[in-house]
Amino acid sequence: MSVGSQPPQTDSVFTAETVVITHEDVDRAHDRVRVSAARARRGFFSNARLLWLLVGPGVLVMLGENDGPSMLSYAATGAKFGVGFFIPFVILTFCMAIVVQEMTVRLGAATHRGHAELIFDRFGPFWGWFSMIDLAIGNFLTLITEFIAIRAGLGFFGVPPWLAVLIALAILYAALMSHRYWTWERITLAAAAFNLVFIPVALMTHPHWHAVGRSLITWQPLPGFNKDTLLIVLADIGATVTPWMLFFQQSATVDKGLTTKDIRFGRIDTVLGAALATAAAVATILATAPLFAHQMTAGNFQAGEFAEALQPLIGRFGASLFALGMVEAGIVASITISTSSAYAFGEVTHKPHSLNLPMGQGKSFYSVLTLCAVAAAAIVLIPGLPLVYVVLLVNVVAVLAMPPALVFLFMLVNDKEIMGDLVSPAWANVLSTGVVLVLTLAGVLFGISVIAPNVFAVLGGK
Amino acid sequence: MARDKENNRVLLNVSAQTSDNSWVLSSLEHDQLVRAKKHHIPRRRLKGAELVVLWGLRIYLFFMMAVVFYQIWTAAR
Repeated sequence: MSVGSQPPQTDSVFTAETVVITHEDVDRAHDRVRVSAARARRGFFSNARLLWLLVGPGVLVMLGENDGPSMLSYAATGAKFGVGFFIPFVILTFCMAIVVQEMTVRLGAATHRGHAELIFDRFGPFWGWFSMIDLAIGNFLTLITEFIAIRAGLGFFGVPPWLAVLIALAILYAALMSHRYWTWERITLAAAAFNLVFIPVALMTHPHWHAVGRSLITWQPLPGFNKDTLLIVLADIGATVTPWMLFFQQSATVDKGLTTKDIRFGRIDTVLGAALATAAAVATILATAPLFAHQMTAGNFQAGEFAEALQPLIGRFGASLFALGMVEAGIVASITISTSSAYAFGEVTHKPHSLNLPMGQGKSFYSVLTLCAVAAAAIVLIPGLPLVYVVLLVNVVAVLAMPPALVFLFMLVNDKEIMGDLVSPAWANVLSTGVVLVLTLAGVLFGISVIAPNVFAVLGGK
Repeated sequence: MARDKENNRVLLNVSAQTSDNSWVLSSLEHDQLVRAKKHHIPRRRLKGAELVVLWGLRIYLFFMMAVVFYQIWTAAR
């Protein structure tokens, strides 16, 4: 493997006379030829084209994480607390996400290996399986919530649950049909762009910009320190940093074929994705803030219920946009999360794992991807299941599972043997250690709030 | 070759298609090739402090998941 920024080593195995070239290699080489051609030219338009060619995993992972439960968390935040502390707080959580996700870009570009594969190879199967079980449970629970969001969002338009789920699966399958990473990425990016639909919805509610500006500067008004606030804090953190994001962005970086030369654009991609996702998240808080002003109890609303509650304030069109935003959030996340599961499965089992694989060559990859989505969709259709608890707690579970996942990432990205000169600088290590500590502290506080809620009363909360 | 067939991969005939191979090889870094990824990255030995952190976080996660299940159980009741 190449180490860090060192040039690839010449290996006699990989000469034109002996090498085995796969379909996946040829597709990836096509993408790289376009990147090389764009890089060879100078000027603004060439740089813009290079950005267009290299952007993808970062935007997808950030907008993918603005998923069903995340948007519900933001909507519940706005409805419960209005404009205030949580606006700058959500921006801060996306800054945390940038710190974390940038490391996966470097890892993927330097090693050309997926995250699951690196954990298994460097730390052995014992720790590897632990992290895979965390990922599999988290991904499956999250996938269920995506289909709940899709069902509820389309339910606003009178679409029956079975049809809503079928539509989502059909879109997921359509994105895969090209058997080409590039095409899959562009289709999913186009779908993810609809996440920004929450911005016009927010504008329709005529936000108090003065209050928004004040909250950005002062973080005021502060919420009361109690169990409900803590749950929303955890849900909002879990809405921006989750284990599947680490696995997905690294694997997508590898599948896209990014190299160490592309890291700068990988960072731009990540920051751009975070900026777009932050805009959509803040817009969702602003969109539901009027429910707080009207004293509506909306903490446990589902996607369709938020849209219905907003209808008297922003009209049928605005409410429809909100419901469609929820559907989009669920669909894009179901695509990216099931893909992250399939990547991880392939990396661990050493089966072919790429979106460049034809169906015949990537049977196991596409089977895992499809099975994850179909199983989650089927569970949503079972009547009487208490799915509301899954929705409420899935982001909390993500926050709890994040510190162990981050420590693996931290160790890998500081591993000089595989990263060479691209190991994290000291400031990045301080920031990422801070993120681990914040997430662990949030988890501990959540545990205390459940086990000993009276402690909060002693500290002045309710 | 048998393994390659098993994986349903395409082995290009070298003498006939060297030029075809060459453009792929010149476009990709060597360790980006699927073939190169069959080589495992050597395992590293975890230090004592690293093991303590990993085990600590594992116990933390088990404990917190139990808390989550407890919360679901109490909410369901």
